[in-house]
Amino acid sequence: MSLISTLLFLPLVGVFILLFVPNWKIQFIRRIALNTSLLTFLISLLLWIEFDSGTARFQFLETFTGSNSTSGFSFSSFNFLFGVDGISLFFIILTTFLIPICILVSWTSIQAYVKEYCIAFLILESFMIAVFSVLDLLLFYVFFESVLIPMFVIIGVWGSRERKIRAAYQFFLYTLLGSVFMLLAILLIYFQTGTTDLEILYCSNFSETRQIFLWLAFFASFAVKVPMVPVHIWLPEAHVEAPTAGSVILAGILLKLGTYGFLRFSIPLFPFATFYFTPLIYTMSVIAIIYTSLTTLRQIDLKKIIAYSSVAHMNFVTLGLFSLNTQGIEGSILLMLSHGLVSPALFLCVGFLYDRHKTRLLRYYAGCGRTMPLFALLFVFFTMANMSLPGTSSFIGEFLVLTGTYQNNSFVAFLAATGMVLGAAYALWLCNRLVYGVIKPHFINEWSDVTRREFWMLVPFVVSIIWMGVYPEPFLDVLHCSVSNLISHGM
Amino acid sequence: MVFNIHDDSLITLSTTYKTFLFDNDFQSLLPEIFLITAGIFLVVYGVIFSTSKDKNYPLLLTNISWLSLLACVFTFLLLVNSPVQNALLFYNTLVIDDFTTFIKGLILFSTFCCIFMSLDYIKQESLNAFETIILLVLSTCGMLFLVSSADFISLYLAIEAQSLCFYVVAALKRNSEFSTEAGLKYFLLGAFSSGLLLFGCSLIYGFTGVTNFSELGRIFTGGTQEILTSTTALPACELGMVFLLVGFLFKITAVPFHMWSPDVYEGAPTPITAFFLIVPKAALFGVFLRIFFESFYDFILPWQKILLVSSIGSMILGSVAALSQTRIKRLLAYSSIGHVGYLLAGFACGTIEGIQALMIYLFVYVFMNINMFAFLLCGMRREHLQTVPRMKYISDLAYLAKTNPILALTFTITMFSMAGIPPLAGFYSKAYLFFAAMSSNLYVLAIIGVLCSVLSCFYYIRLVKIMYFEGPKNWCSFTRVPLENAITLAITLFFILFFMLYPTPLHLITHKIALTLCL
Repeated sequence: MSLISTLLFLPLVGVFILLFVPNWKIQFIRRIALNTSLLTFLISLLLWIEFDSGTARFQFLETFTGSNSTSGFSFSSFNFLFGVDGISLFFIILTTFLIPICILVSWTSIQAYVKEYCIAFLILESFMIAVFSVLDLLLFYVFFESVLIPMFVIIGVWGSRERKIRAAYQFFLYTLLGSVFMLLAILLIYFQTGTTDLEILYCSNFSETRQIFLWLAFFASFAVKVPMVPVHIWLPEAHVEAPTAGSVILAGILLKLGTYGFLRFSIPLFPFATFYFTPLIYTMSVIAIIYTSLTTLRQIDLKKIIAYSSVAHMNFVTLGLFSLNTQGIEGSILLMLSHGLVSPALFLCVGFLYDRHKTRLLRYYAGCGRTMPLFALLFVFFTMANMSLPGTSSFIGEFLVLTGTYQNNSFVAFLAATGMVLGAAYALWLCNRLVYGVIKPHFINEWSDVTRREFWMLVPFVVSIIWMGVYPEPFLDVLHCSVSNLISHGM
Repeated sequence: MVFNIHDDSLITLSTTYKTFLFDNDFQSLLPEIFLITAGIFLVVYGVIFSTSKDKNYPLLLTNISWLSLLACVFTFLLLVNSPVQNALLFYNTLVIDDFTTFIKGLILFSTFCCIFMSLDYIKQESLNAFETIILLVLSTCGMLFLVSSADFISLYLAIEAQSLCFYVVAALKRNSEFSTEAGLKYFLLGAFSSGLLLFGCSLIYGFTGVTNFSELGRIFTGGTQEILTSTTALPACELGMVFLLVGFLFKITAVPFHMWSPDVYEGAPTPITAFFLIVPKAALFGVFLRIFFESFYDFILPWQKILLVSSIGSMILGSVAALSQTRIKRLLAYSSIGHVGYLLAGFACGTIEGIQALMIYLFVYVFMNINMFAFLLCGMRREHLQTVPRMKYISDLAYLAKTNPILALTFTITMFSMAGIPPLAGFYSKAYLFFAAMSSNLYVLAIIGVLCSVLSCFYYIRLVKIMYFEGPKNWCSFTRVPLENAITLAITLFFILFFMLYPTPLHLITHKIALTLCL
């Protein structure tokens, strides 16, 4: 058993054990799920320790094909080929990091269908690790879509209001509609090259017209997941209706699937089309950054505010990816990681408030700083990280992205930089309304600060945000080889 | 010494079976012969004992169902263990090859499952006509002949044999208006389509003088001078081919000729609907693939066009019309029209990949629908009516997730699979189908198919939504799932869930049979 396969199967082992635990042993079920996911997290850290950052090749290669892997027709037996390089390593660690948090956050708030809840999250974990480590195009699609089913269930079953079904529907159908075109593109690639093995595909060429079509088909899928502006509608809906843990996963990992797809497939496979469509991406990203930042200003639902700010940040990421230089791409990967920490942390904070008062509307809250000082401290810290204060991880990411973009197109960098101002605007506005001000006692009449469990749940986020913000070397070191290989290959 | 004799006998066996002698023909038709004999035996047995005063006029339905299940199993074993894998029988009337063996196995399997999962239903509804089951077995026998027919005469006879059985069983519930109406409609339209089919056959026979598939193919390919130079013969044969095609599209409920199917599928009792929906498609696709690839391959341009139109129409109608259905069997009827559209897409490719995709799709389709119907045939109780009505409306599914979570989960997974969501079997079959379409340059077909499959997600997920999130209009709960249905559900669910991990065997088998058909 190599590390990757351990990581893939460990959550499934947890699921298997859970299946045989009776429904009423709720505490026991939670313990098992938590321990499984923590163990997975530790093993994924081992992955980081063992990782050799001096090479751009895929490491920890693992294949599950039987003896007939050499037979020519690989459609019959998918190439179950898994591997990790510098780009995917941190996404896997982020996934394994967030899943225990998801199980912890619902320790008391989820009382119905606990077993199913834990099973859904563990299956989701396994699928997501697979998405980030699979080295086969068709299987990437398979796992990319498989994530939908547990997510649909999570939003639909444990979501908070009646509108949740509509949200689950929207999430499902938007993503599906986008990604079926990618399926056609993958089949076309398979038809042309006869393989879906990624490492071989990196060495193959497509004609320029075909590249454009394929790129657009991939784009249709990834743009929904990122989300780019015209197709971002599913995201605020899904976020608002999802349970807290669902939002954590959505913001932390599922949004990264789209950008990871751009990085892994669109840019290296279709370099010509990438050049060709860079203006499109720039335009869409800039529109998204400014538009969603402005939209954020007039939202009153706490989760919607954070959801829209996620859209803005993810469009920063696409901007960085398509600047096609080392700073830009490394910055966008760092920004993805940082957003994967900051945004879930904010969703957790909102979740704590919701657990206490059962509302997410901003107008009912004020003056948390008086009644919940510890919460206010953490919330302000994360909001500052969200507006990329220097010293936090987002700053490094956004700074590198802007540097990269500036080298390419200074006007776009200028427009994107206004996004930072607007980001500060909504972050401060939110902080002001929520944390400061006079308490509204006829709405909120019970106060309790964060519990010990909730506090210790947020501490790892604080630590890693500051660590990444002050000393990003360990992250950049791992990234560097893979990213420069990607650039030198593509260009 | 002993080994030598053994080896010699094996060699002689394999050489002599390739002759056209009738005595060997009978041996290689053993599965069909056994099934007919079993059917006749069961009729006699049933008639004698159910009218016997000494035995107090017993109701033999369950008994005969189990016996016919046994007959199906034996036939399957005979089929699989047949020493003859390739032969032309009875002066080129019937053909046996890997293709027919595969389809026959599929037919027997699905018949077995259909009868097996309706055992409890039949008992609950007290449909005490043991002829039904025997008619199903006999129609299966007709389908076995249909699959291996290599001649228009045997094709038509076999189609009629199975259709006649179907007309009878569709009108099984004589005290229900819907069932009689369904039977009548099915009979009229079935007879009409058979007429079209027969007219097509006679046109072709009239202008070529040949009814055998392979000879027909030889005439069109090489051709005698008269046919190739005559101004009327080829267009007339083409017309005949179109008539054949129309009859075929009627029988499989493809789009311009689908209008009877929702009514019939809804009116007929559920086990019969299951049988109609699942079993005959395999047989019809089998034999018509043979005809069009063996005889009419030179007419590929016209038939490909017709099939494309029909396929796209079926896909669109199947996904759009099902959106507004409230009755579950009607919804399934439209969904099966949609599936027929996908199957026809594989047919329309006209390539080896196309056939292979079609076969994979058919296989998965059979499994998914067996799972569906095993679910629908579970007993259901409506509290305040004191009766045991069946699930009729899709709103009856409401709250199933609370009353029977495991059943609900099974149904959900099947629905996701039918919609073609990745890790499930339905995805693989669709993906391979689109791959086949793209590899024969039918990009538009692939795009429309993909869009329709997204559209059809709406109503498949709607069922899930009703089950999990909606409060019931009228309270009804499922009674305990009968053992037979539970077994069927479990096996098919296992297949749907884990097919993706090891699709190689099915892939290789279908590849082999596609080659058998084309080469």
